[in-house]
Amino acid sequence: MFLKDVKIIENTQVADNYYLMKVEGNKIAEYSKPGQFFMLQCKDHSRILRRPISLHNVDDNILEFYYEALGKGTKEFTKLSIGETINIQGPLGNGYDTNIKNKNIVVIGGGMGMAPIKYLIKNLKDNNKITFIGGGRNAEAIKIIEKFNFKNIKIEIATDDGSIGIKGNTVDLLKKIIKNQSIDIIYTCGPHPMMLAVAKIAQENNIRCQISLEERMACGIKACVGCSILTKNGMKKVCYDGPVFESTDILDLNVIDPNGGCK
Amino acid sequence: MNDRLNINFLGNKLNNPIMTASGCFGYGLEYKDYFNPNELGAAVLKGITMEPRNGNFGTRIAETPSGMLNSVGLENPGIEEFKKIISSIKKELHIPLVANINGKILEEYIEIAKEVEQIKEIEMVELNISCPNVKDGGMAFGANPKMARLVTREVRKVLTKPIIVKLSPNVTNIVEIAKIVEEEGADGIALINTLLGIAIDIKKRKPILGNIMGGLSGPAVKPVALRMIYQVSQVVSIPILGMGGISSTEDAIEFFMAGASAISLGTGMFSNPILPVEIKKGLEKYCIDNKIENISEIIGAAHPDGGTAYRNRLGGNYEVKN
Repeated sequence: MFLKDVKIIENTQVADNYYLMKVEGNKIAEYSKPGQFFMLQCKDHSRILRRPISLHNVDDNILEFYYEALGKGTKEFTKLSIGETINIQGPLGNGYDTNIKNKNIVVIGGGMGMAPIKYLIKNLKDNNKITFIGGGRNAEAIKIIEKFNFKNIKIEIATDDGSIGIKGNTVDLLKKIIKNQSIDIIYTCGPHPMMLAVAKIAQENNIRCQISLEERMACGIKACVGCSILTKNGMKKVCYDGPVFESTDILDLNVIDPNGGCK
Repeated sequence: MNDRLNINFLGNKLNNPIMTASGCFGYGLEYKDYFNPNELGAAVLKGITMEPRNGNFGTRIAETPSGMLNSVGLENPGIEEFKKIISSIKKELHIPLVANINGKILEEYIEIAKEVEQIKEIEMVELNISCPNVKDGGMAFGANPKMARLVTREVRKVLTKPIIVKLSPNVTNIVEIAKIVEEEGADGIALINTLLGIAIDIKKRKPILGNIMGGLSGPAVKPVALRMIYQVSQVVSIPILGMGGISSTEDAIEFFMAGASAISLGTGMFSNPILPVEIKKGLEKYCIDNKIENISEIIGAAHPDGGTAYRNRLGGNYEVKN
């Protein structure tokens, strides 16, 4: 894991509150896997915690972060200019299992959950057939897809307001696909209710499903135990054991834990 | 030149007075990708209880201005699992290790103290009577002078290892509690645990933390920690392990001058994982620049008498005996 000041080479607004930051990752890039994340440090040290930001893409030695400016820390990130540095820690967490060959795959990203999707799909090669389902509130929430530049994969879009793609959600699209095809594995990242619905469908149809969870965390390296969730295998740290989990480890827990996986 | 930071802390020779705060450093090896943990003076490991605990439900972390709230609630694998992992930790960590022990009721404190007494890899024990995040036990002991007396007395009976009693700042009179635990045989005092607080999500109209309340740490609590260490060190004769928002060498020096013999780093490491190494270098430079032979010379330097009386009371307690 690296702890380094890296140079910002791009930091632009994609849409609404959604931004894309590119930094010179150099050696860090080759160690970074899809689904992993970095802890980005705020310059204003009154904000004492780093922000966990998912790895969006790796392009040669460039690391890309797609982030939403929601609070003071991420809003601060939007003001950083080209040439400035930002201190990053990572890559952290486990990432998706991309060692998949000759499979029929569905990848589902919802809203901010689009963050790890680009690099994930880039890494799913080896004769896999991939369908990508992207969804969000409106066209703005899924504008990032325009930058994906995927080749040879099927893209399906759903928005809540129908401004682009079908009016509906990603789960509706998934149901339709499952009716007509046999799916081997589903990858998903997005709002908890969406992932919960996806995971349930996967379970009903006996499909392996990897979900990427999000929790508030302080250290990112399982030292503070702030992001622990209850799973079927006991308490697990989202920062270290995750953020990617097999949906079956999270679904249908006997104990009701509001912190446990899909909320 | 490293001698300048050598200290004797409760009979243990430490390479430097920099330790970790329990609950912020896992079980000692989590930070090893960022620095060699053997560079620390000692490591205080995450709090343990007799039985495994899942901790609190819901969101556990909330950032606040210059600080953060946590309501982890002592999630830990329990003493049996701790006993299994401690030898492998000790293989990599050659510095003194401090076990932080917790209980819900007096009997549990005694029981876990007996267990820890038998663990050879543990040099010192931090008796946590100040966790704000468990409903019973924890702070209930630290906030009540009678309970603080009772738990320290009973644990002392079963522990020969040095005991550091970690006190809660959520009390009216910290000096009274500090004197009580000293009377009952505490070898040292850890000041401060977190301050009880709340943060509210205005969109949801609800507290952010699942446990509603949590413990405040970080630079926001530093003045409170310094004040309590300053007050307590003027009346007790045992060393103080100072903590609360230390984020720089200058902060660390303030803690020594207030009366701390050693310091613990916690929240400051979340933003800056290499903080211990930075402070170690910073303290070495500070000592050289100011012609200080040993860092312990400045313990209590901010007291009205320059700390002479307190250092005399500590006697050889902080000096390195060769």
